[in-house]
Amino acid sequence: MTFTDWLPTLMIFLPLAGSLLLLVTPKRFRDEVAGFMAALTLGAGLAIWRGGGSELFRWDWIPPLGITYSVQLGGVSLALALVTALMSFIAILYAARRIPNPGPMLSLILAMETGLIGIFAAQDLMLFYVFFEDALIPALLMLAIYGKSGRMAALVKFAAYTLFGSLLMLVSIIGVRYIGGSPTFAMTDLKQNLVQGPAQTWLYLGFLAAMAVKLPLWPLHAWLPDFHEQNHDSGIPDVMGTLYKVGGYGLFTFAIPLFPDASLELRPILMGLAAFTALYAAWIAFGQTDWKRLLAYAGLSHMGFVALGVFSLNETAVIGAMYLLAFQNLYTGALFLSVGMLQERTGSLDTRVGGVMTQAGALGGLTMALWFASIAVPGMAGFIGEFSILLGAYQVFPWLAFIAGITTIAAAAYALSAFQTTFWQARPAGGLRVPDLVHTEWLILGLPLAVAVLFGVYSAPALNLMQPAVRAVLTALGGN
Amino acid sequence: MLQPPDVSLTPLLPVLIVLAGALSSTLLGFWLGRRTLTFINLAATLLSALSLGTLWNRGVSSFGGSLQADNAALLLAFVILTGALMTLLVTLDTAWRARVSFPEFDAMLMYAVTGCLLIAFSGDLIVMLIGLEIMSLSGYVLATLQGSRRAEESGLKYFLLGAAGSAVLIYGIAFVYGATGSLNYAAIAAKASVLAPENTGILVGGALLLLCGFAFKVALAPFHQWTPDVYGGAPTSVSLFLSTVVKVAAFAGMLRVFGGALADAPGWHAVLQVLIAATLIVGNLAALRQLNFKRMLAYSAVAHTGFLAMALLGTPQAGGAALTYSLLVYTLMTAAALAILAALQRSEEGVSVSDLRGLYHRHPAYAAALAVCLASLAGLPPFAGFFSKYLVFQAAFQNGYEWLSVLAALSSVAALVYYLRPAMLMFMPDRTPAREYAHGQRAPTTLTVTLGVVGVTALGLLPNIWYSWVANPAIWTLLVGP
Repeated sequence: MTFTDWLPTLMIFLPLAGSLLLLVTPKRFRDEVAGFMAALTLGAGLAIWRGGGSELFRWDWIPPLGITYSVQLGGVSLALALVTALMSFIAILYAARRIPNPGPMLSLILAMETGLIGIFAAQDLMLFYVFFEDALIPALLMLAIYGKSGRMAALVKFAAYTLFGSLLMLVSIIGVRYIGGSPTFAMTDLKQNLVQGPAQTWLYLGFLAAMAVKLPLWPLHAWLPDFHEQNHDSGIPDVMGTLYKVGGYGLFTFAIPLFPDASLELRPILMGLAAFTALYAAWIAFGQTDWKRLLAYAGLSHMGFVALGVFSLNETAVIGAMYLLAFQNLYTGALFLSVGMLQERTGSLDTRVGGVMTQAGALGGLTMALWFASIAVPGMAGFIGEFSILLGAYQVFPWLAFIAGITTIAAAAYALSAFQTTFWQARPAGGLRVPDLVHTEWLILGLPLAVAVLFGVYSAPALNLMQPAVRAVLTALGGN
Repeated sequence: MLQPPDVSLTPLLPVLIVLAGALSSTLLGFWLGRRTLTFINLAATLLSALSLGTLWNRGVSSFGGSLQADNAALLLAFVILTGALMTLLVTLDTAWRARVSFPEFDAMLMYAVTGCLLIAFSGDLIVMLIGLEIMSLSGYVLATLQGSRRAEESGLKYFLLGAAGSAVLIYGIAFVYGATGSLNYAAIAAKASVLAPENTGILVGGALLLLCGFAFKVALAPFHQWTPDVYGGAPTSVSLFLSTVVKVAAFAGMLRVFGGALADAPGWHAVLQVLIAATLIVGNLAALRQLNFKRMLAYSAVAHTGFLAMALLGTPQAGGAALTYSLLVYTLMTAAALAILAALQRSEEGVSVSDLRGLYHRHPAYAAALAVCLASLAGLPPFAGFFSKYLVFQAAFQNGYEWLSVLAALSSVAALVYYLRPAMLMFMPDRTPAREYAHGQRAPTTLTVTLGVVGVTALGLLPNIWYSWVANPAIWTLLVGP
């Protein structure tokens, strides 16, 4: 067994090791240690990319129960893991700067990163479930320790929605194996023992419950705005929360190969729900006056797009969905951080602060550029994703693609009007002077933007990574 | 020629060691202080656990099969002894605060453990009944021993309802004997499948009466009403004992009777699934409304009964393994959580959930440990509570109770909410003065808590440590004895 086979495992557990290491690190060096571990994780990810993705690594974790530790990072999962590692690194950079005594926060970010990369790497359903739930605990603790006054309600809502879905998924997972008769929970075995007939639909619905909560998909999205609103002002937990929206990925990697017939059968309903989610969220976002709630709904709208792409089962659309899922993490996350910087300067998350651009030009400029990425202006990564989704979805259900297409216009409306009231207009008389970006803040907003622009202009590396993986998954549908 | 009776004491060894501890507490109590006796009992418990190892895989039995030290008995006895050990450690710290620190307390505790072990080792219904009665009678005394109005009320309730449960159980035994003409598990199992039609009704009646009797003992709804009052009213260390060791023993009895003797008997599955469904709903919803942490844990014990009993609906092979794995995990996490409560409460009434706010900033280690226990109770990976939940879901699902798995999954959402609230409150900042006992953090309690937390974490990351012992299906096909 060579070193490269261990790289995915290393990438998964390095952050956790860092998280535990922080508990015993002296206060002075915590920032450096956390940053170093996050950078090392990102480095491990880049090393895997350089090798063109990893092979499947399999070890029998609990042999009598048929649960294996199967991990693989390649294609879509590698792209998502890389984005996760990058954004966790950036979240740590900002946490070190913004939060006084950031020890617990840094620990939790790293612990959550392990869960998230694990979700992407897992090639065994039970292992996927374990990582899926593992990521929940740090997310809850971040909210509990750093949240605002209404956090308990938000916390309970978030956890209850998540578990509602994932426990139904657990029953489904048990069913997938026993009704299908597979010897283990590893994907390679499950794919050879597919469940047939109506049972497949029921199991798919159980699986869907978890993924719809985590996408999120209307009507299971209600936890999302409260979760973001009640989290710490800096926006760091929101970055991690955005990364945790793994529903689209779960559907793509597990649901399509395991429930091909059910995916086709339920396609019209699910695509309809997805298109509605995109439009509905954009509509609600338009009325928000709190930046975090606005971003929450904007994220929800993006996720409606992702869902539309995945549910359409069309190759172009699925590639677009995965592209969007990966890169929206960059700019949605960076936008949450820019809102955190805005809050640090103005003391408010309100969208009607006014005149920030006149005093903090760089903050305003970078935020605007990030918003352009978010509303899918050509030349940014978001455009490639959204355009491919619409192109693919159009071939399946033109009308639904049209409804979702309206969203892109609505997105421009809500984003630019909120931006205008905050950054332009007049600075109110007597308002505090807003200082511009300093030190690492440039890097924190600039790096995600640079990546979003790079992959918006030169998308080949990312597409080359994702395309074979998507093709492989869609062949399960019999070339449809 | 008279046959010499089949009396071999080897299989009785673990039971006898514990009994010796109980007797020593009874007799030496005139001369020695309670702490010394507790250390003797701790040693007896450990020795008894070691003696289990010597009997492993030997499958010895005694008294003509009435008492059997097969692997199933040894595994269940291990769980019982783990719970007993943790209880004893906790009482070292908290018994004097609960005003129950006298030798009789230890004696009663060890008699109860003796009874519990007898249930696990039982080979026929009479031995099981004797064990159950020893356990229950000692339990009634333990619940009452404190001498406060609350404890008296709790003990009396426990006694009255427990006695009613025992009566029903004995009536059930009579029915089963009437139908099959035997009290021996193996003989009952052999007869149950070839019964004459007129006897089948009697057997079903007997099985249902036994089920009701056991439902009283393990607290399955609607026979659970005594549980919150008894667990809430008794001293916390006693609640710990009742909700772990006694419940494990009652489940051991159920596994022997329903997984072994009556495995092929008709009728009881349908009733049990209704009882489980009611328990899951009632236990979880009631726990959701509790403001007192101790009472919440009492209802959580009821809810967990529902989860654990799901394993009995599986095939004996899958169910026995799932139940035994889950019982150990349940014991570890419940005992550790109650140990922390016993250490930190100001009075035996427990603490209110809101009093836990900011506990992490005052007692970081205990708060983190309690959070781990609660996460495990809620069934979140990577803690072992998740695997026990998964195993019982799977056992029920495989045997055709899909709807029950779905119901259990949904009721777990309620469970998560009531475990989450105290767990998260502990990490929130707090500016009000501490409301817990300041000197509760003591070595024996810490040892118990460490045992529990390390146990649930290790069993969660590598479930095979314990599961590989229980996984062999051969253990559970021979539940009735060879």
